[in-house]
Amino acid sequence: MIIEVQHLKKIYGSRTVVDIEHLGIEAGETIGLVGNNGAGKTTFFRMLLNLIRPDFGLVLSKGMDVSKSDDWKQYTASYLDEGFLIDYLTPEEYFFFIGGLSGYTKAETLHKLEAFKDFFNGEILKSGKYIRDFSKGNQNKVGIAAALLQQPEILVLDEPFANLDPTTQIRLKNLLKEWSSKGLTSLISSHDLNHVTEVCQRIILLEKGQVIRSIETNEGTLEELKGYFGED
Amino acid sequence: MLFTFLHHQWIQFWRSRNKGVGLASQIILGLFMAYLLLIALFLGYALPDILARAFGGQSALRSFNGLLLYYFAIDLILRLQLQELPTLSIVPYLHLRIKKATIVQFLNIKALFSFFNLWPLILFFPFCVSVVYSDLGTMPMIAYMVTLLSLIFFNNYLALYLKRQGTANSGYLIGGFASIVAIMLCDYYGLFSLMSLSDGLFRLLANRPYLCVSFVLAAACVFWWNSRYITDNLYEEEMSGSEKEKSSTDMPFFDRFGQVGDLAALELKLILRHKRSRSTVMTGLIFMAYGFIFYKKEALASDSFGLMLFAALFMTGTLILFYGQFMFAWQSAHFDGLLVNRLSIESFLKAKLLLFTIYTIAVTAIISLYGLISWKILLIQLVAALYNIGFGSIVVLYMATFNYKRLDLSSSSAMNWQGVGASQWLMMLPYLLIPYFIYVPFKIFGNGYWALLALGIFGALMWLMRNFWLGFLVKAFEKKRYKIAEGFRE
Repeated sequence: MIIEVQHLKKIYGSRTVVDIEHLGIEAGETIGLVGNNGAGKTTFFRMLLNLIRPDFGLVLSKGMDVSKSDDWKQYTASYLDEGFLIDYLTPEEYFFFIGGLSGYTKAETLHKLEAFKDFFNGEILKSGKYIRDFSKGNQNKVGIAAALLQQPEILVLDEPFANLDPTTQIRLKNLLKEWSSKGLTSLISSHDLNHVTEVCQRIILLEKGQVIRSIETNEGTLEELKGYFGED
Repeated sequence: MLFTFLHHQWIQFWRSRNKGVGLASQIILGLFMAYLLLIALFLGYALPDILARAFGGQSALRSFNGLLLYYFAIDLILRLQLQELPTLSIVPYLHLRIKKATIVQFLNIKALFSFFNLWPLILFFPFCVSVVYSDLGTMPMIAYMVTLLSLIFFNNYLALYLKRQGTANSGYLIGGFASIVAIMLCDYYGLFSLMSLSDGLFRLLANRPYLCVSFVLAAACVFWWNSRYITDNLYEEEMSGSEKEKSSTDMPFFDRFGQVGDLAALELKLILRHKRSRSTVMTGLIFMAYGFIFYKKEALASDSFGLMLFAALFMTGTLILFYGQFMFAWQSAHFDGLLVNRLSIESFLKAKLLLFTIYTIAVTAIISLYGLISWKILLIQLVAALYNIGFGSIVVLYMATFNYKRLDLSSSSAMNWQGVGASQWLMMLPYLLIPYFIYVPFKIFGNGYWALLALGIFGALMWLMRNFWLGFLVKAFEKKRYKIAEGFRE
């Protein structure tokens, strides 16, 4: 198991937002996290990334408690929201900064960015704009690309398909499948059941902070999920 | 139509203020404005007296004349940085059936509602009515008033024109202030005197009041020039100050510091690319003129350095104080991103110390010009710089771990109270008191030089102990990181 969650709990006031007794994720798995608003997806991600302190329990990344050591940062990349972007930089400056943290020179970063040419659709690089002046969809692209740029072993994305145009959604799916085939472990939350079932090998269904189902994806998964979300 | 516009502006002002900012800070802002106006009023009435004291032996009128050009030069530079373009607000009207000329007129009128236009009126007109009238008579008084009004108009529209061109950047501000300081020094040493030039000009005006027409003409020219520019460029995109292509800048100077340098360069870009941080730092630079107020010949002669030390601490530490006050919160919009990236808290903090150190060294180099007055000043400033680098910056970074208030950089103006809390003000106390805890005992039991030496050694020692302090800061930060991040997410 590359990630292991033990007795993880987060309580705000009298509301338990996340309550995961046990969850294990194997290296190379692509996990889709689904659930209605308030199910605790983002809070769970934030605890996974040591941005929020759990009230109980812990998250182990390669056997190490993420709140005790920074080692997980070396192989984990994430994009949850625009709060992860340094919005007063141009995309190039941001990529150079992120690349630099992983020890890439500018030339190397530029070379690695080639892989995102289709994904960017010519709208990101050399645009002469700051990130803050981009549309939300394009900001998303920058964030996702910056995460992948770091060649992570674990990737965490919160609703990556939101705000993207249809073409880019398809390109993103291809990107994720391609990386997954290279052994990347990813955790992706989404409200789009079609997309997650297509990309992910396992779907975890969250409700009120609890894992209520964990489904290995097959032909029937989409229908099963639709049934769940449709019934109430 | 114009009244409809103004009415819309009026409601917009009240409704937007009420929405975002709490009533309390609104009252504070109002009080602050009233306070500034009261000061202007007081200064205006006391001006003859103040001038007589400041420039003893010289007639009040002469000093007044001499200072006017200085005033308007500084006024122009400040306007370029702080005055806001009355522009974006017209976008909803552009596509309606309204004549272009009306919109231009509205923009021109709205531009007059600025603090910068009110303040000189209150400051200078009482002087005109009292001293100019009694010394020179009615016609010169009217000429003075017309000239002053024209100069206000002139500066107002010139500043707006330059801003619309997009030429007004921070470089101009620094350059402008540097040249003013240079001119002041020239004045001080009698090489070239802007004061006598200004005096001569207004003396001429007093003798031939009709000459004030030329000032009116100059103002009218700028006004017309500005209006024409707006008329020609009345498009949504082009109104908010010309948008230049944003370029990715390299800061090779920082490369040698590795990851710490990258982070420092990042923060420098943050400062330069946001109005709020920029004006914060610029305000700090303006304080470099503190020396003119605090460095007194008598105090220098008697070796009582206490007050001068205060000025020196302030001048060398403005970045630490003004920018450091809101530390970490500047980055609140992307704080989560910083926490999850491959960088250590230690380099994150080190980068800030690096910026502080560079800034303090640079400022100390510039203000060593005061050394021309006396070598003792150099000593004081050196000690102040040592304290700031060695310990002041540490104090501020420690205090920053108590600041959980998000700072919104996108909506920013010169007077922005968003994100200001009590902790920012409390922080200044230890920062400014600690040097005196060291200075005062040595001064009492020894003399000023011993006291300076003690403080200097303290600063240097703390600088040497930087790694210890860094470890201390990292621990403090780790303890508070969730709370800070939560506050910034808000």
